[in-house]
Amino acid sequence: MSVAETQAPEKTRRFQILPQRGKVSLFEILLLLFCIALVAVRLPPSMGDVLLLTFLFAGLGLAWNIAGGYAGLISFGHAAFFGVGAYTSTILFVHFNVTPWIGIWCGALLAGLFGAVLALVCARLRGPFFILSTLAFAEVVRIGALNWSSLTGGPEGLSIPPIPSLINMVFTSKTTYAALMLGYLVVVYAISKALEASRYGYYLLAIRDNEDAASAAGVNPLQGRVAAMALSASLTGIGGSLFAQYFLYLDPTFVISPEISFQFALLPAVGGLGTAIGPVLGSLLITPLSELLRSNLGNAAAGLHLVIYSAGLIVVMLYFPGGLAGAIAKLKRWRPFS
Amino acid sequence: MSALLEVSNVSRKFGALMAVNNVSFSVGQGELLGLIGPNGAGKSTLYNLIAGVLPPTAGEIVFDGQKVTGWKPYDVARVGIGRTFQIPKPYRQLSVVENVMLTAFLREKSTADARKLAEATLDDVGLADYFGTPVNALTVGLLKRLEVARALAMQPKLVLFDEIMAGLTPTEVGVMTKFVAGLPARGITVVWVEHVLYAIMKTATRMIVLNRGELIAEGFPVALARDPAVVKAYLGEEMDFA
Repeated sequence: MSVAETQAPEKTRRFQILPQRGKVSLFEILLLLFCIALVAVRLPPSMGDVLLLTFLFAGLGLAWNIAGGYAGLISFGHAAFFGVGAYTSTILFVHFNVTPWIGIWCGALLAGLFGAVLALVCARLRGPFFILSTLAFAEVVRIGALNWSSLTGGPEGLSIPPIPSLINMVFTSKTTYAALMLGYLVVVYAISKALEASRYGYYLLAIRDNEDAASAAGVNPLQGRVAAMALSASLTGIGGSLFAQYFLYLDPTFVISPEISFQFALLPAVGGLGTAIGPVLGSLLITPLSELLRSNLGNAAAGLHLVIYSAGLIVVMLYFPGGLAGAIAKLKRWRPFS
Repeated sequence: MSALLEVSNVSRKFGALMAVNNVSFSVGQGELLGLIGPNGAGKSTLYNLIAGVLPPTAGEIVFDGQKVTGWKPYDVARVGIGRTFQIPKPYRQLSVVENVMLTAFLREKSTADARKLAEATLDDVGLADYFGTPVNALTVGLLKRLEVARALAMQPKLVLFDEIMAGLTPTEVGVMTKFVAGLPARGITVVWVEHVLYAIMKTATRMIVLNRGELIAEGFPVALARDPAVVKAYLGEEMDFA
């Protein structure tokens, strides 16, 4: 009874202060304004890079979170979808002169298809077996990209001609890129929020938590898993295309690497799995940290930045098992003056 | 009374074991059918066959005029068969009301409507004080009620209850018995597996008894309690001490 009583006031409150599933909160609006302000003020160029990568990876973490967080399909192979998106738009641009503004959607479609295929192939696998299969899947895609040299340029990679123009989606200003990445982040965030509030989003949670019960409630688990993976993969593909337009160079070993896959999974894990705000908080903390550590310590003591980075991660995992979003949720119950 | 569920000559083998052996029975619209039998009699297997968790090795199941033999659980659920699990299977990371919303979604497409239906159903089973409670904070008795609420929120034509009284206090059993007894009047046909015999004997309009996979008796509760085959299945044979 006491549990129910402490939660009663929440129902009467119209507007949420802290993030909650499927609702827009004050915290999220302030965070968005803060991000817009970061884009608007002129940061030094090196900080500009960090900023736009932070936004991009927040979006990618959110995309991963749709499969890994909501549907429980923990994937260490999302770099494959990232690569498929990046390569599709770049190949269309470099070989066939199709503007990336169109190529991005082709990449999203193809990545989504790859995602659906992966979910179907792994339909019967759960837990560690599923995770290992995703890892192997990404390796297959990477080796495929390495060997199909006529299309992908193989190990030499593929360069996008650095001719700035809107139609080429190539810009000189870091601010423009930052705005582009923020746009991507906001779109993926909105999709995550809409998903949380919808019947379909609840179905994913049900499939994750108890497949038998979900099935008895009229939910087709395989359909849900395939759709979740396809959506997650196609959003990851869009992120891949944007990354290609910023970096202007792709090579399979770098773009489709396990490190990239781990990064996608790490941001939601640190920020809070299965929440929309989680991956964003994760990226705001982790991406600048890893970039700054790398640029400041990379030369003086090679590898030291990785040690500090990993130590930080261990601390977060140990003391905030629910991620940063979990820590914020705890604030709700924090009563400092009573 | 037309038959809502018609089970004909259904069998299920696990290797050499006949878990359910050539079982036939029917459930009429508005009936409250008790299904009893000792442990290992095949009650849960029979439920799994009807609910689509397992396909039968032989036989046919017809529900509401449709042949549902070998259908998947989600398809069976969609035509109107709800069920509870003997061991509750809640969504551990969701709240009580969200657990019920997930079955309410079968009938209500919008989240707000599903929430309304879920809250009304929870109110019905006496869980009105627990909407926002995490499932992990519930006692066994409350979890059983949650299972019942989940089965009912999908507004089924037929509901399969599997030991919803196990682990309840006598007071809770009384309340729940009265609740289940009222379901047929609301248009919900009930099949009910229960080990708390005094509850089911009082409530069921008709009972069937399963033993070692076979249907050994069928009839009114009072008559069944005196049936030698039923007594033998539960208590063993009478011994001669001479």
